[in-house]
Order: sequence, then structure tokens, then C-alpha cells
Amino acid sequence: MESQQAGRMPYFYGPEGALVQVDFALEAVNRGSTTLGIRTDEYAILASQLKPTRPLIDPAEKIYQIDEHLGATGAGYIGDVLKLIQELRLGAQKHRLTFDSLVDIKTASEELSSYLHQYTIYAVRPLGASVIIAGSDPLGIQMYQVDPSGTYFKGSGFAIGAGSERSLDVIQRGYSPGLSLDELVSLATKAIKTVTQDESQIEFGVVSKTNRKFEKLTAPLQTVR
Amino acid sequence: MTTIVGIMSKEGAVLSSDKRASKGFFIGSKITQKILKVDDTLAVAIAGQVSDAEYLVNAVRAERSLVTLQRGYPLTVKETTKLISNVAYQGMKSYQPYFAEFIVAGVDALGPHVYVTDMSGAVSAEDFVSSGSGSPIAYGVLESNYKPEMTLEQAKVLGTNAVQAAMERDPGSGNGIDVVAIPSLVIAPEVQQRRN
Repeated sequence: MESQQAGRMPYFYGPEGALVQVDFALEAVNRGSTTLGIRTDEYAILASQLKPTRPLIDPAEKIYQIDEHLGATGAGYIGDVLKLIQELRLGAQKHRLTFDSLVDIKTASEELSSYLHQYTIYAVRPLGASVIIAGSDPLGIQMYQVDPSGTYFKGSGFAIGAGSERSLDVIQRGYSPGLSLDELVSLATKAIKTVTQDESQIEFGVVSKTNRKFEKLTAPLQTVR
Repeated sequence: MTTIVGIMSKEGAVLSSDKRASKGFFIGSKITQKILKVDDTLAVAIAGQVSDAEYLVNAVRAERSLVTLQRGYPLTVKETTKLISNVAYQGMKSYQPYFAEFIVAGVDALGPHVYVTDMSGAVSAEDFVSSGSGSPIAYGVLESNYKPEMTLEQAKVLGTNAVQAAMERDPGSGNGIDVVAIPSLVIAPEVQQRRN
């Protein structure tokens, strides 16, 4: 693009006012594996496609436990995703030490967005990873998406990674606030399968209002597929 | 010097204090406020070095409003106490301790609470507690009259009586009594539940 014009100086804004580096980082996220989150008042479910690997290599973990009530998943460069996960886990434990309580989902998300924002105002590489954070706190079941720009969204349906537009479309059409856990799992499966088409594995994580715990789902996965 | 008292009842939390500030054997002030309001649901009674105690309570007041804005719901009484105790602990460990004790009383979504923390940073939840030079005398009244099923009105009377008794015999306490009652916003859960 304009990189030749820019010469050796680090640049931030493109001619149209877009943060060029950040846009590239978002493109990197769009190359990642299809990853999504769906939320109702009772549950939030995180799902991510596990990229098929060679027979002797285990696929990388995609659903991460952050704290007992909080989980996250991400898409983009896996190293960058892992850095953000580490940052979230650190934030959760710091909150425990400071307040003797579990971090709320908004604070966890905002701290991460603030961390990412730092990489947009200096001549450094913004992290090429978006994450979806889901958890339970006194305000209920909450879900956030945080992007490389430092932008965060609160909501009930998110999709990031390859084919996220199509995936989100499936979620929007299939969503209703009263979906059961099984229905959420099948909707998430459908939304990912629309994009991937092959028999790739999906990893799930669920937080429910009844026990206020975030847990990785392994058993129900088999029944759905 | 000082007598401060914190009492929990099923209807809310109560703080009471005397009004004397001592400078050695001299009465420095007869109208001291030892109960500091943090906001409508929480107050802290202080004993010890007034400057240290006020500094910490002011810092916690600021932090409490920041966190409430940030996450959309207020800090619990326990979280607030932990904020004070963290700073107190750091002070002790860096050989510049905050010479103060704090009785934190308030109500939150779980009901009324009374916590106590000191310059070591130790935190404990109490049904009733007293601190300051008059506390051994105040405890005599508290131990024989406290009942978990007390109403807020009865807790106010007990708080007043405890400080009154201390003022009679403790030269570090006197010049009148302040009482603050913080009514609970929710139906109080079982007293046992607050002890976990």
C-alpha cells in the first residue's frame, strides 16, 4: 500500500485517517481460526475451531480458564492470544489480592483493552489477536469482545477469525434469549461449521448463572458432533 | 487513646465513638469526629494517629468511587476493608506503619457487615468490636449485652452504653459520644452466613 511513501519513519494514520497498523492487526485476526461467543441470561458459551494439525501434534488449546468465574478465547496469532490470556489471568489474580474478590467481567475486559491500546500509540507492532471474554459477576452473565485497537464491545453474539461475518450471520439468525445450553452448543457448532465445512474439532467453554463457574466443555462435544 | 465501637445487627451496622483527641496528658480537642463517612452505605471509625487514619480513609473513599464507576456496582464492605488493609500491610513491611486501627461498618448486597483492620493489615469480620484505650471497658458492656438478633435501635443503645462506660474510667476517652447507624438495604441473611 502506502508503505513505500512512508519511508523508514514509523507511521500511524493512513491518508484516510485509518490507523494503518491496527487495520493490519485486524486483518491478522481475520486469518485466525473461527471463534465465537454466544450469551443468554443463563449461559455464555465460547467456541473455537481447533486448527487441524499433523497426526502426532496435539492441537493448541483455544478455550482458556482465566479464573473460576471467567473464561476467554481468541483468534489471531496464537502467541499474541496467549500473551493476552496471560494478561487476563494476571489481572484476575491481582484483583483477588487487591480486593479479596473475583474480578468483574467489565473490569477484566477494560484492563485488557487498555493494554492493547498502548500498542496503538507507539511505534510498535499492535498485537494481532482479538479475544472474547465471558464470565459471571454480580451483574449477571456477561460477555465482551476486545480487539487489537483497544476497542471493546459488550454483547450477546460475537464471532472473530476466518469467516467471522458468515459465522455471526448464522448466530444472529439462530439466536433467541431463551436458548438452552444444548441449543447454544448446536448453534455455535453450526456457526463454525458454516465456515470450516470440514470435520475439524471445536472446543467449548461455558459459564452458567446457576453455579457461576466457567468450565471447559468436553463431554457434550461428542454428543453434538 | 479513644474508644470506638462497631456492632452488627440484623437490620444494619452501628458505629460509635467518643469525641476526645489526646495530646499526651492534654486534651487536644473535645469535638473530634472519629467516625468518617465514606459514602451512604459505609463509614469507618478510627483510632490512633488521626492523620494516618484520615489519609487512608480518604484514599479508600476515592478508590471506592472510582471502582463503582468502573464496574457499575459498588465495592462490598469486605473489599473496602481489604483496600485499607493492603496499604496498612505495606506500611508495616516498609517500616513506616500507619499508626491506626479501623472499624469498617457498612451494608452491601449481602447485608450488614462490621470488619476491623489495623496497622498489621490483619482483617477480621466481627459481630461486635471495640478499639482504642477504652476498648477493654467497652468490651465489658458489649460482651454482656450483645445479642445477634438485636434491632438497629438496640444496637445504637448498646454502642452508646459501651462508649459511655469507657468514658467513665478511661482518661483517654471522653467529651461526648457520636453514633452512626447504617440501615441495611436488603433483608439481612442469617448471621451465620456472614461469618464465612
